[in-house]
Amino acid sequence: MTTEILIWLIPLPPLLAFFLILLFTRRNHALSHTLGVGAAFLSWLLGMIVFLAAIGVEHLGEQPFTSSVGWLPLGSDVFSVGVLIDPLSAVTLFFVAWTVLMIFIYSIGYHNFGQPKGEHDVPGLPPHGANQHGHGVPSVEPMYARFFAFIALFAFGMFTLVVSDNLLTLFVGWEIMGLCSYLLIGFWYAKPSARAAAIKAFITTRVGDVFMLLGIVALYAATGTLNFRQILYSPELLQQLASTPSVIAGLSAAGLIGLLLFIGAVGKSAQWPLHVWLPDAMEGPTPVSAMIHAATMVSAGVYMVLRMFPLLSAGWEHGAPLNTTMTVMAFIGAFTALFAATIALTQKDIKRVLAYSTISQLGYMIAALGIGAYVAAAFHLVTHAFFKALLFLGSGSVIHGMEHGVLHTGEHIDPQDMFNMGGLRNRMPITFWTFLIGGLSLSGFPLITAGFWSKDEILADAFGNGHLLVFITLAVAALLTAFYTMRQITLTFLGAPRTQAAEHASESVRTMTAPLLVLAVFAIGAGWVGIPEHFPGLGGLLPGWFHEFVGGTLVANPEAVAFSIEPLLVSVGVALGGLTLGWLVYRKAAEADPLRKPLGAIYGLLENKYYFDELYDSLFVQPAKRLAEGFSYMFLDRQVIDGALHRVAQAGLSLGSIFRNYFDAPVVNGFGDLTGSLTQSFGRLLRKVQTGQVQQYLLFVALLAFGGLFYYLLSVLQ
Amino acid sequence: MQLITDNILALILFSPLLGGLIVMLLPSENKDLVRRAALALSLIPFILTLVAWFGFNASPEVDGFRFQQQVAWYPAINSSFHLGVDGLSLSMVLLTTLLAPAAILASFSVEEKIRSYMALFLALETGMLGVFLSLDLLLFFAFWELGLVPMYFLIDQWGSKTGERELWSGMKVSARRYASFKFMVYTMAGSLGLLLAIQMLGVVSGTFDMLALFQSWPGLTGSLFGLSVETVKAVAFWAFAIAFAIKVPVWPFHTWLPDAHTEAPTAGSMILAGVLLKLGAYGFLRLVLPLYPAEAEQYAPVLALLATAAIIFGALSAYGQTDFKRLVAYSSVNHMGFVVLGIAAAAFATGTESATIALNGAVLQMFNHGISSAAMFFLVGVIYERTHTRDLGAWGGLFPLVPVFGGLLIFSSMSSLGLPGLNGFVSEFLVVRGAWPIFTLFTALSMIGLFFTGAYILKGIASTLHGPLNEKWKGHLTDISRREVLVLVPLLVLMLWLGLWPAWLLSVINQAVVGLFG
Amino acid sequence: MIPLSWYLYLSAGLFGLGLYAVLARKNAIAILMGVELMLNAVNINIVAFWRYLTPQNMSGQAFAVMVFAVAAAEVAVGLALVISVYRRRKTVDASEINLMKW
Repeated sequence: MTTEILIWLIPLPPLLAFFLILLFTRRNHALSHTLGVGAAFLSWLLGMIVFLAAIGVEHLGEQPFTSSVGWLPLGSDVFSVGVLIDPLSAVTLFFVAWTVLMIFIYSIGYHNFGQPKGEHDVPGLPPHGANQHGHGVPSVEPMYARFFAFIALFAFGMFTLVVSDNLLTLFVGWEIMGLCSYLLIGFWYAKPSARAAAIKAFITTRVGDVFMLLGIVALYAATGTLNFRQILYSPELLQQLASTPSVIAGLSAAGLIGLLLFIGAVGKSAQWPLHVWLPDAMEGPTPVSAMIHAATMVSAGVYMVLRMFPLLSAGWEHGAPLNTTMTVMAFIGAFTALFAATIALTQKDIKRVLAYSTISQLGYMIAALGIGAYVAAAFHLVTHAFFKALLFLGSGSVIHGMEHGVLHTGEHIDPQDMFNMGGLRNRMPITFWTFLIGGLSLSGFPLITAGFWSKDEILADAFGNGHLLVFITLAVAALLTAFYTMRQITLTFLGAPRTQAAEHASESVRTMTAPLLVLAVFAIGAGWVGIPEHFPGLGGLLPGWFHEFVGGTLVANPEAVAFSIEPLLVSVGVALGGLTLGWLVYRKAAEADPLRKPLGAIYGLLENKYYFDELYDSLFVQPAKRLAEGFSYMFLDRQVIDGALHRVAQAGLSLGSIFRNYFDAPVVNGFGDLTGSLTQSFGRLLRKVQTGQVQQYLLFVALLAFGGLFYYLLSVLQ
Repeated sequence: MQLITDNILALILFSPLLGGLIVMLLPSENKDLVRRAALALSLIPFILTLVAWFGFNASPEVDGFRFQQQVAWYPAINSSFHLGVDGLSLSMVLLTTLLAPAAILASFSVEEKIRSYMALFLALETGMLGVFLSLDLLLFFAFWELGLVPMYFLIDQWGSKTGERELWSGMKVSARRYASFKFMVYTMAGSLGLLLAIQMLGVVSGTFDMLALFQSWPGLTGSLFGLSVETVKAVAFWAFAIAFAIKVPVWPFHTWLPDAHTEAPTAGSMILAGVLLKLGAYGFLRLVLPLYPAEAEQYAPVLALLATAAIIFGALSAYGQTDFKRLVAYSSVNHMGFVVLGIAAAAFATGTESATIALNGAVLQMFNHGISSAAMFFLVGVIYERTHTRDLGAWGGLFPLVPVFGGLLIFSSMSSLGLPGLNGFVSEFLVVRGAWPIFTLFTALSMIGLFFTGAYILKGIASTLHGPLNEKWKGHLTDISRREVLVLVPLLVLMLWLGLWPAWLLSVINQAVVGLFG
Repeated sequence: MIPLSWYLYLSAGLFGLGLYAVLARKNAIAILMGVELMLNAVNINIVAFWRYLTPQNMSGQAFAVMVFAVAAAEVAVGLALVISVYRRRKTVDASEINLMKW
């Protein structure tokens, strides 16, 4: 089997699992998760084979694995779709395959496979626990099989996106993931908050998606193709797009298309201003959050920007000022990174902190791409997927442990509120250590964690190329990141338990902790493949493989930025400083957040996410509803258009009545009636002649006869 | 066998009518017999269409209309009974003969006057097929009008029993009477101009045959009736265009559609949305564009503006609905707007690659919308039969009670929404791609409509299936039955198939588009 | 020979008398007698014209005989009618037999 056929096969097992589970194995939990995990494993296996084949190829960027087939006959041509594995998609395939498989395995334990059914559990609501031997135990999820079907479809969408060789099938995978995020965020659909969050996610990303569709269409119209190799690897074509003006003044065709596509990424990767859906998406089960917000969906946005980087940066060369699209990207990325980090400082829910941290980290990647740090952004994408998935799955483990405690003690507390936790380090050791590794990686703990290497490279690139504003913003954001991460770890695991439930929390089952361990390995080790060569000491010990390999995706292999000590110091400083500060502030924290009083009103602003949800509601949602029902339907359709029609009908009716009452009845009808009545009156008059007396009749006859005779005689004898 | 293939179009055309007559002769007490006979009889044209489909040569080298049949009808005015298909009409015929058995199977739940119902349905099928198959203007018009009568009776007699519409001065009529009347009179008002224009065409050119007219009419110059040919052609163009615009429907001639679709019985709505709307679009493609290329190009921006308005306002009005069926009806306005946008783009820039793509998209959208809206109306009908209400606020959290129905509703909704991977996306993508270089602003504005499409589809799903369970319905709802699933299965299969591999249909459409306008 | 005109005056006079009887007499039988007088006057007229103008033709005589026959038949029928009316209405006064009026 050639590698190309294997690439075609990668997305198929999850799709098959989706259909099989939904159609046949809905009631059998074991069979459903076997199908799901089996499919994820198959895709993982195929992915690994392809990946290993890919890294063995010299200059994969020039000779990638490709294969295509004709899909749409249009005019005299045929629009083709196919698969492509070049360095970028190879590394993406790597982390997607691993994280997806880990999440699938994790889901078995998360949804309490093997546990009894809860007495009050209904499909549509989270399980409440069952009564076993007198005390509460976790109960199995009622919609167990459906969950696996949906994450299988999700996996299909992501794999399709990764192996695509053209924007159209990338968009197909993109939207399928959007559908699955809707289905999965709203998995517990009977909860009104989940239902609302699902709709919010879908609609917010749809805003980005319609712009992206326009971008795809514009690109197709301008170049006649959507194939990556044909567009992005042809410098003449890119140059032409960069110099043709578009319909918007001041923007080249490449700029317009780039911006439109970027807006799609803004929606999908939850950048400001389309970030509002991601925190609410925590309503979904935790594996979903891991899947959507770490491994797959949000990464898809960054992946697309990475993929289209040659187009987005068309007209720009290394060292030159940034073009319009890149400026926008740098601004939005850096702003979002800081913006989300500030909000994360005040969140109480363990998953919400991670949500805002995801938004912030994605901002890093977007900012990196905005300043042209292609390899750094790709690197951070890979490492972030690992440690963020680890953190989310770890938080799920924590929540499970807390729920165990809640069921045990019967307390009515929120198991996701960090201020109800504390001291879990002794109760849940594996979770603690893996979460710590993930948190340190996120904060960029120097040298041993993967996050350090990728974050450092972004900062180095920003500093080295003179984008100081971006550098400072990202550095401050890194400080806040380390701070709130340590805040999270301290509140959750360190110190003393703050509630009874926390005292009785227990470690999670093996199907949940094993993936945590695997991901922890990657959270540490994934960074070592990207150690820059110029790094003092360590540089050159392990080859800077990542930079060479992924850099080869671009036509002109970008040069690594020269080493300078300042960004390194800043990076180490903010990481360690933030971690220490976080520990210091929170290690004695009890019920209330110690930051609340010092920050005062600002704390309220951050806690309420700068009131963006309320702003959007009053600015967009309510007016849209009024526009839809009040204006478009009731006014335009019913009053204006139907009103006009009714008036026409009324006019027709009046016209008809006028004709009937003033012409038809009196004139036409009346004429007929008149004839009749005239005849009648004549008859009434003339009948008087009939007296019944014969002699009178004879008299008339005689008179007439003689009269006629005389007349005749007189006229003849003239 | 040779006899069948020689006269296949006439057989396809008249077998439903004959079937209707046979149904009228059956005993009316035996309801099952009537239903099954009607279903079996409606499958005959479908099988014949498949025969024609497989015998259709789709390679671009072969041009013109296939399976032509011509019989003299009114020799004095040169009007003949002329039938023929190309890729455009054959795909529409396939849609019609596919949806008719599905609709009849969906009508098994009708209890009163079943014989008349089924006979009217089959007669309606003949009317629709006649429009697609005819190659003579008088024949076209005859079938155009013929299709109205059965639909009027279907809505008036078997439509929704409750509901009233207020007219003026406090006068109230029953909703179904209002809807059927509005539908019929509005369409006929449009057809008035159409008839006059057809007659003028026939008299001036000396023939009513479409093929001959395509050759002779566009090149006509000089003066007619004391006016210049351009003026006469413009007037005739508008007469044609308005008649078809009312049928499609193009905004602002669309207000009959929500009423007719909402008050019609389930199967009636399926056919109304699935096929009858396509008659208008087909009229544009078959008659308006080939006969009036210059006028079409001149007025294409107006048409594109109206199409964009339909897309936007259709989606907005759908989002603002509380009646599920009316929401789906407005979604039809929204989707047909894309069809008209594609047609307008193609009219403006005939012969370019974008125009071909836009037209391919428009015709494919016609087919796709037929499938998805038929499925959506049917699903609304299913829940209506069980709950006797269409109010979105009356339901809530029904997913645990009707899981299979819920799954099918979500699937069909995604097709209606244009989710990539299902059929709706391919056609919408092609239309947007085709229209972008030609009408950039309108295409950009239509994205507003596409955005609100997501909003109203999710509103429908959220109000029906999601949220806390409305206790009122517990124990009162049965899940979707096997017969009802059987109605949906071919539609769902097509949705998936056309989404993943549309080439089998698109190649046929492409051949027609390239042949007609390439 | 007495002149033809004398016969004509006679027949005219008789006819006038008969006409007066028909128009002015109350009794139905008197009316019938008036009709008889008129017929006979006509007969005289016919015979006179025959004798004086075309004596060789048979037509005059034949005509007169026919008139006799018709008069006789008519009187019979007329009297029968009068008797029938008398039996019904107990009167032969012509002015009282006026049922067929307006």
